[in-house]
Amino acid sequence: MDKIKQNPLVKKVGFNRVVLCGVLILMYIFFSILVPAITGSGFAGMSHIMGALNYAYFLGFLSLGVTFVIATGGIDFSIGPVMFCCGLISGYCLITYNMPLPLCLLISILIGTLFGLWNGYLVAYWTVPPFIVSMASMNMAKGIASVFTKTQSVSWPRSTDANGWFRNLVKAGGIPTGLLCFLGAAVICAIILNNTKFGRYIICLGSNKEAVRLSGVDTKKWEMCAYLMCGILVGIATIFFVGTYTTVQPGYGDTYNNEAIAGCVMGGTSMAGGLASISGTVIGVLIISLLQEGILALKLTKDIQLIITGIIVIVAVYADVMARRRKN
Amino acid sequence: MGEIILQMKEIDKSFPGVHALDHVSLEVKRGEVHALMGENGAGKSTLMKVLTGIYKKDEGTIVYKGKEVEFRNTREAQDNGVVIVHQELNMVGDLTVAQNIFIGREPRKGFRIDDKKMIEDSKALFDRLHIDIDPTEKMSELTVGKQQMCEIAKAISHNAELIIFDEPSAALTEKEIEDLFTIIRDLRSQNLGIIYISHRMDEIKVITDRVTVMRDGGYVGTLITEECTKEDIINMMVGRVIYEKPKEKSLVPADAPVVLKVEHLNAGKMVQDVSFELRKGEILGFSGLMGAGRTETARAIFGADPKQSGDIYVNGKKVEINSPQDAVNHGIGYLSEDRRRFGIVVGKSITENSTMAALSDYMSGLFINKSKEKQVSEKYIKELDTKTPSTDQLVVNLSGGNQQKVVIAKWLVRNSDILIFDEPTRGIDVGAKNEIYKLMNRLAAEGKSIIMISSEMTEILRMSDRIIVMCEGRKTGEINIEEATQELIMDKATRQMEA
Amino acid sequence: MKKKKSIGLLADQKFIVLIIVVILYVVFSFISKDFRKYSTLVMMLDSTYYILLLAIGVTFPLITGGVDLSIGTGMICYGLTGGYLVVQRGYPTWVGLVVAVLFGLLVGILNGILIAVMDLPPFLGTLCTCMMTRGLGSICANSFAIPWPGAKAEGGWFHNIFKLTMGAGRKAMNYPVGVIVLAVIVILMSFVLNHTRVGRYTIAIGSNKEATRLSGVNVRAYHITAYAISGLFAGLASLAYAAAIPTIQPGTGAGIELDAIGGAIVGGVSPTGGAGSIIGTMLGVFVIQLLKTGLPYIGLEANWQQIVTGLVLIGAVMIDVIKQRREALEG
Repeated sequence: MDKIKQNPLVKKVGFNRVVLCGVLILMYIFFSILVPAITGSGFAGMSHIMGALNYAYFLGFLSLGVTFVIATGGIDFSIGPVMFCCGLISGYCLITYNMPLPLCLLISILIGTLFGLWNGYLVAYWTVPPFIVSMASMNMAKGIASVFTKTQSVSWPRSTDANGWFRNLVKAGGIPTGLLCFLGAAVICAIILNNTKFGRYIICLGSNKEAVRLSGVDTKKWEMCAYLMCGILVGIATIFFVGTYTTVQPGYGDTYNNEAIAGCVMGGTSMAGGLASISGTVIGVLIISLLQEGILALKLTKDIQLIITGIIVIVAVYADVMARRRKN
Repeated sequence: MGEIILQMKEIDKSFPGVHALDHVSLEVKRGEVHALMGENGAGKSTLMKVLTGIYKKDEGTIVYKGKEVEFRNTREAQDNGVVIVHQELNMVGDLTVAQNIFIGREPRKGFRIDDKKMIEDSKALFDRLHIDIDPTEKMSELTVGKQQMCEIAKAISHNAELIIFDEPSAALTEKEIEDLFTIIRDLRSQNLGIIYISHRMDEIKVITDRVTVMRDGGYVGTLITEECTKEDIINMMVGRVIYEKPKEKSLVPADAPVVLKVEHLNAGKMVQDVSFELRKGEILGFSGLMGAGRTETARAIFGADPKQSGDIYVNGKKVEINSPQDAVNHGIGYLSEDRRRFGIVVGKSITENSTMAALSDYMSGLFINKSKEKQVSEKYIKELDTKTPSTDQLVVNLSGGNQQKVVIAKWLVRNSDILIFDEPTRGIDVGAKNEIYKLMNRLAAEGKSIIMISSEMTEILRMSDRIIVMCEGRKTGEINIEEATQELIMDKATRQMEA
Repeated sequence: MKKKKSIGLLADQKFIVLIIVVILYVVFSFISKDFRKYSTLVMMLDSTYYILLLAIGVTFPLITGGVDLSIGTGMICYGLTGGYLVVQRGYPTWVGLVVAVLFGLLVGILNGILIAVMDLPPFLGTLCTCMMTRGLGSICANSFAIPWPGAKAEGGWFHNIFKLTMGAGRKAMNYPVGVIVLAVIVILMSFVLNHTRVGRYTIAIGSNKEATRLSGVNVRAYHITAYAISGLFAGLASLAYAAAIPTIQPGTGAGIELDAIGGAIVGGVSPTGGAGSIIGTMLGVFVIQLLKTGLPYIGLEANWQQIVTGLVLIGAVMIDVIKQRREALEG
């Protein structure tokens, strides 16, 4: 064990990332054996990988967003319903009001941004506990979306339709452009987190806010920015969601909260703040997506997935708690 | 003094990498106040934690009331009459005084907690201690001094026979310390054994009967208080005479410009109408007792806490300081007394901490210039002689003195000209202390202006060019170093209390 | 000293909330004729019942400084499971009731273990159980929607316990059993909170956990108990929910916890723990329910409910923050 940890390559990549990759591969092998054994149809092959990837795009953006918030020691579990709110309102603008598509996509990002701003403002400037803000925003997002769309679901145009070109963001021809977008965004997020003032400050304030404030840093502003960043990414996630799944229903979306948080904490971002890893989040998201695809292929319901995701989060966070206990 | 109530013999305890207690012995008699002294890290608290069952000893015996014992936890120690009054108050603010005293062992009638009995019993306790506190008052509404009294009452209510006071006076005012001593004398006359841990030499002389001194986890010796001098005890604590000569005269030229002027500063109860001037290259000592409002003054100047009124001038120009940002932008740096909470981000590297206040200067466009950052970090590690293997070392792994140097580096990187050192050597061992002193003198000589808040008289007299004394939120004296004596400072620091 | 306290009682949040309840009722009644009807009142009280139970339960974790987000989906899950046994498997009603309550208690204890023993952040641990109970509910009920026996049907006797009235008018025979049951529960839980060790230590944990531990209190056990109470009440609430709503749908329940937690916080439970009361929680729930029920009567569609509830919750916490800041400045 220690020998593996000392291996220079492993050291460079990070031990837990190696473990995560291992989990991802094992899981793929596991499903490749189990799915044919139970259902008779194959799992290995591109179609399921593409299915998992489709799921990974929007979830990835959500997870990247929430990574910034968790790095500050906060939480945002309004992201799922907010994504639905973005998708519903901008979709409604597109379908019912016939607004131009680019404007609608912008509206989507704008709504996400506004929610991020609102959440961040309340947490940073009003010191409202993040979980309360999340809870309120989650329900307000559902309410606003329902009011706006008069409780109707919205179907975005298909790729063959007039306004369907935005789907090329997810998949153009046979190329998974969504993957490129997601990885590109992850690289940008990693640079932001590790190489900019914003990233430095939010990680430090997640670790010791008062010390950062007493260094003359406007901690409130930067803390709010973390939520804002999350909001923007949620807005972008919406585009990939509707680009993959077409229909958005009012009143839903909260199941994605847990999956996004799961991807993030599995990747080594500490719930206590001050420690965040974008590459970890990326692998975490891929694991969650593969899990979802595998469960569907096993002809099991979403319910099982809810339970497994819950257990994953509990185990991942508990591992972090134990690691910190050992340090002290 | 009566029979021996506690005998700890040859106690030995190791933690990974640290030999915390090296065959330490301690003997306490009934009707005695026994001082336990030693520098920080000498092992006093560890010894007490072994006694009360928080730590398990590796070797040695504890004989309590004639029987060999080994308590498994504080509860068991309590049940046997060994109680500890902690340095940090362990109070549940939202419960009442009576509820706090009896927490964990409430008298009951069936399922119901018998609050009436609790209140009556609390009253009886307070009567016994001659304390005037309403047991139905909420704990959070009492002063720190009164909370301390409640803690003592709680300790005694366990039918205590051996009470350990762990730096009980740290947060008390002079008057409250007097009350505390009255209570301790009272308890002594009731034939209880008392262990008194403190750093304050004056208190040791006033209240204790014998002194046991520890050094670096080892037992040094036990003296009878009446028969020894302060210097004797200090010598035993440090193993050598450290009594430093005070500065003889101010090193600041008479025509040095005023860099910071504070006028009529008001911030809550602890800062009332404070005015002073700080000159270039000066070390201005802030003396006073615990709770005199010195830290509060510093925090108000720095913008860390809101202030009600007052003007601040930097280099002759009036400035608005409403947040630490404003203060930092005007070249002020603050080094808190509580480094771990307010000074450093422990989980981050030396470099990241060093550039925390000046990150804007280490950017290339949107991005942090990490090599430039590393350079400056290395420069200050060398300049301040910080002991660390590399710039990437997490500050959590550094010793107290080196952590302090990282904080100093942070403000030097920011190019701050006015530095507020709040208890700069608290929690730092003797050798590192001298280094910090040298560093401060060097900074002053280089033209930085320093405000130094300190509770250590020797530190104040050794370092300051001028001394401001505060008492209960007011400035009560301004003394030039040439005229300063311990007696004069103490007189100013306590002046109002007698009035 | 004594006098100061009685004035304090007048300035008590409970009293203010009570006034708000009265004002809201009067205003809505004034605007809408339909709102004034007795049947509206009954309908509103019936649909408030289960939220009251949830809120009373969640008051305990909130006072410890935590939160229980699993109560909404949990309630549905327990109701589905119990109902499945009764409706699909033909067990007598009481079996379903007992199973629902025990299931709630079990999940509550699990929450307690996650938070008190495994040290997970409360919102995260209970967010996980929230999702897990949502999945479990569907699985336990085989994805069926479950209609518990109706009030008049065989095995429908439990309606009497959990409805405030029978809703059929003011016949002398229709004792408002529900009111009595609720009153007993409120008095009992107030007693538990204020005069027993469970309550005392719940407050102590929320106020200063470390000090409580050092006082020799088995903090873990009492911390778990607080969550167990919350779970137990979610179990009870599932019965009241079954009595109020004809059919329980799997996959629902998210968002109900907001009404309960919001009510508790509006009623004076400190979001950072250490303070709160059962009566306050009850009044707070009435504020939120009045708003929710009243909005459609003054011309706003029902979807506004969620938005308004969210805003009321944020508003209540903001008032708390302002109060604390003022105190900090004075102290």
